[in-house]
Amino acid sequence: MENLTEMLKGVLEGCVLEIINRGETYGYEITRRLNALGFTEVVDGTVYTILVRLEKNGLVDIEKKPSDMGPPRKFYVLNSEGKKELTTFWRKWEFLSSKINVMKEKSE
Amino acid sequence: MEKMGVPIIKDQCNEGEIRMNFWEKITGSDMTKLLKGYESRAKELPLEYQEAWNEIKLNLWPHSDLTGRNLMPILDGVLGLFEESAADGESVQEVLGDDVKGFCAALVGEDGTKTYRDKWREQLNTTIAKKLKNKESL
Repeated sequence: MENLTEMLKGVLEGCVLEIINRGETYGYEITRRLNALGFTEVVDGTVYTILVRLEKNGLVDIEKKPSDMGPPRKFYVLNSEGKKELTTFWRKWEFLSSKINVMKEKSE
Repeated sequence: MEKMGVPIIKDQCNEGEIRMNFWEKITGSDMTKLLKGYESRAKELPLEYQEAWNEIKLNLWPHSDLTGRNLMPILDGVLGLFEESAADGESVQEVLGDDVKGFCAALVGEDGTKTYRDKWREQLNTTIAKKLKNKESL
């Protein structure tokens, strides 16, 4: 779907946390997974800024590994703080989506 | 009294020397070296990435602190991203999309990282506030 950027802003970080939680991964792969989910407008640059923020906030552990082509890649794993943050995210999402669905049903 | 004054002046001289070295360090040679390194890395990138690099620098400088030191890790990170993406054969359009400004704002932390301009403004405001207060009390 297109023109989602603004709406997606607040939840994209949670999506990235969830993807990292499923197993060690790197920026390019995260972007491709989001694209495959249907978020076609998400680019590497966006994911990169989120990863920088996660690193700054101490939510991920990082390991640099050599790559077949180009410079070594940074691989990300969720640490305990990150897992806590992810739980909080899903709780918030649960609340938000249930309330918004109530609104939607009333209007129908 | 004079005898006591002498060592104090000597101390101040030493302090001045230390300050000079410190000043040179925070403004000077090490950062120039870093920037030169970044530029030579940028020159290795495909041309369209080089253009994006220049645009990003233009968008980032307004977010600089007084010396620009806060931007060094950010610039280093952007180059890293570009190097990885270029090696993967991605176009710069695929990496950045259409919103370079938004990308830069996110890099510096749009939620109010203070630039030197903000700090000066703040300083000016408190100075004026103080002066106004003084006038009121007169």
